[in-house]
Amino acid sequence: MKSGNRLALLGLQNAPLILFVVVLLTFGLMSDRFLAIANFRNIVIQAAPIGILAIGMTFVLLTAQIDLSIGATMYLTASVLALAFTGLPWPVALLLVTVLAAVVGAINGLIVTVLGVASFITTLSTLFVLRGVAMWMSETRTLPFPDRITDLNRAGVLGIPSAILAFAAIFALAWVVLHQTAFGRQIYAVGEDAEAARKAGIPAKRITFACFVICALCAGVGGFVTVTQIGAVGPKYGDQVEFAAVAAAVLGGVSLFGGRGSVAGTVFGAILIKTVQNGLNIVNADPYIYPLVTGSIIFLAVAVDGLRTRILDTLNRRTIRPLQAN
Amino acid sequence: MTALNPSAPAKPGAAPPSAIRNLVRLVLSEYFVLVLCAVYALAMGPFVPELWSWEVASNILSDMMPLLIVAIGQTFVLVIAGIDLSVTAIISMAAVVGASVMSETNGYLSGGPLAVPAALAAMVALGLAIGTLNGLAVTRLNMPPFIVTLATRMFFAGSAVWFTTFHTSSSSIAGLPDSFTAFADASLLGIPQPMILAVVVTVVAHLILARSRLGRWIVAVGSNSKAATISGVPVARTIVATFAISGVCAALAAVIYESRMQTGSPITGENILLDIIGAVVIGGTSLFGGKGKVLWTVFGVLFLVILDTSMKLLGTSLFAIYIIKGGVILMAAVIDTLRHRILVTR
Repeated sequence: MKSGNRLALLGLQNAPLILFVVVLLTFGLMSDRFLAIANFRNIVIQAAPIGILAIGMTFVLLTAQIDLSIGATMYLTASVLALAFTGLPWPVALLLVTVLAAVVGAINGLIVTVLGVASFITTLSTLFVLRGVAMWMSETRTLPFPDRITDLNRAGVLGIPSAILAFAAIFALAWVVLHQTAFGRQIYAVGEDAEAARKAGIPAKRITFACFVICALCAGVGGFVTVTQIGAVGPKYGDQVEFAAVAAAVLGGVSLFGGRGSVAGTVFGAILIKTVQNGLNIVNADPYIYPLVTGSIIFLAVAVDGLRTRILDTLNRRTIRPLQAN
Repeated sequence: MTALNPSAPAKPGAAPPSAIRNLVRLVLSEYFVLVLCAVYALAMGPFVPELWSWEVASNILSDMMPLLIVAIGQTFVLVIAGIDLSVTAIISMAAVVGASVMSETNGYLSGGPLAVPAALAAMVALGLAIGTLNGLAVTRLNMPPFIVTLATRMFFAGSAVWFTTFHTSSSSIAGLPDSFTAFADASLLGIPQPMILAVVVTVVAHLILARSRLGRWIVAVGSNSKAATISGVPVARTIVATFAISGVCAALAAVIYESRMQTGSPITGENILLDIIGAVVIGGTSLFGGKGKVLWTVFGVLFLVILDTSMKLLGTSLFAIYIIKGGVILMAAVIDTLRHRILVTR
């Protein structure tokens, strides 16, 4: 074991954090507005919807599944909200939205666990179906929301904006569930090795099912927060957010193969992505290069993670006759 | 492996009544999706008689071609248990780069005799380069294919739009030479040229996957990459090759799309990702690797395009197409899962 490797490992293990600091410094040097507290508040507000979605996605990814239908779930629940629930007090409306989202999640979860269809395909097809249903209900129009919903965006408690409150509440709940309950530990166990978990008496299918419901719930809430921010829902609403949510989770260290990652990492990933976009905005970068920079950062973060795993493997190798990797 | 071979005859010992047995055999056979296409087309006949007209049939075939080419590339990647989300970005990027070379208004080689060949070469080279980049990131940097291609998709889809802004103030690069735009409509010996290209790609892909050593390596890597490594298969090179194939196929599809649209648009491939993956999976190629055939993908694409066309002919609104398409992809996946279970227990 070389000490150089250990040092490299230390750097690689904190790579997302280092990346974050680099981003902050770069934009901070380019604009003095960037590092202001008010701007950071903006970043968190902007990151709230995608962060909430990504927290839900984390649960599904932890069980080594994926949910591509969250954007469609958002669109469906927001459309129903716009068409039917705007007359209700907002907590009731939010509750109904989450119930509807949970039903969608339950359908995904049932298909995956009972019928045994791969989650990628299941949620790919429910994506189409849900979008179709939502377009049918809204007649493919853009539905506006009344002020009583959009006013929530400006509302807040003790000066903390509602989006940040929602983000923090979902994060706290998710953190407690994942790290303080038996259910949370079982999620990690199922993701690590579903067969072993089942043999140890963990109801692996029920856990996976529950994670799909949680993911859809978060999609419902995330969609609600988005609605308060943009005030209307059109056919492109929520299009491809599933990829952004996966990206945020992966950036925060969640593995696509299950069993590894945390919601804190996911929140960090979502904020990192939005920080970059906010910074590009503040330094007046060409809007066309946003996806280039975001794509590069995701690539970089995951490449570093791959390197880290490789170095760890080298360090931990105890086999007398090592296999030639690749 | 014989237990998993879908065309293996049922064991004589377990003989259910022959009608059921034939049905089971049909569901388990690899031509199931083709039969499904025929049944669907027959069932829709009374509602959309046009479906059986020569004109619509040839439209279906020509609609199929570019999608088929990308889907075949995707099949290779799925067989090694990877996924290539970047194909749509490759299509868009290839379209604008090709246009920037050959455009008659402001192309690099505008009007020159080499404009079209150079543009085609640039498009294929670009597909090869991005595909290879994907493959190297997966093998050298140890990154999951989903994330690699998600990132390259973001990057190159963005690049395509950005690149366009350097060449034109409008949203796409126009002024493509006639010799290029004629490609999509022209025929050789009565066969449309895009179809010739697609058939060539299909045959070559089939030979690679089913008959060549590379094909055997690909299946070996997808079935069990550790076992493949131990048996001396150059796993990393095989993986890079599949992504490169996928990239080249995407670029070839871009040629057809662009020739048909007669303009180099940076959103050429934007909305077809789910169709591509859906078609391959409907065909029966497994997302978990080791199982896939070019022929299956042909059937899957055919089915998706017949479905799309019949819906459009029926005057179905977009939402209903979405719902039905989703339902069909799901149904195909459920049937495939059940098939798999039956095959494993037999």
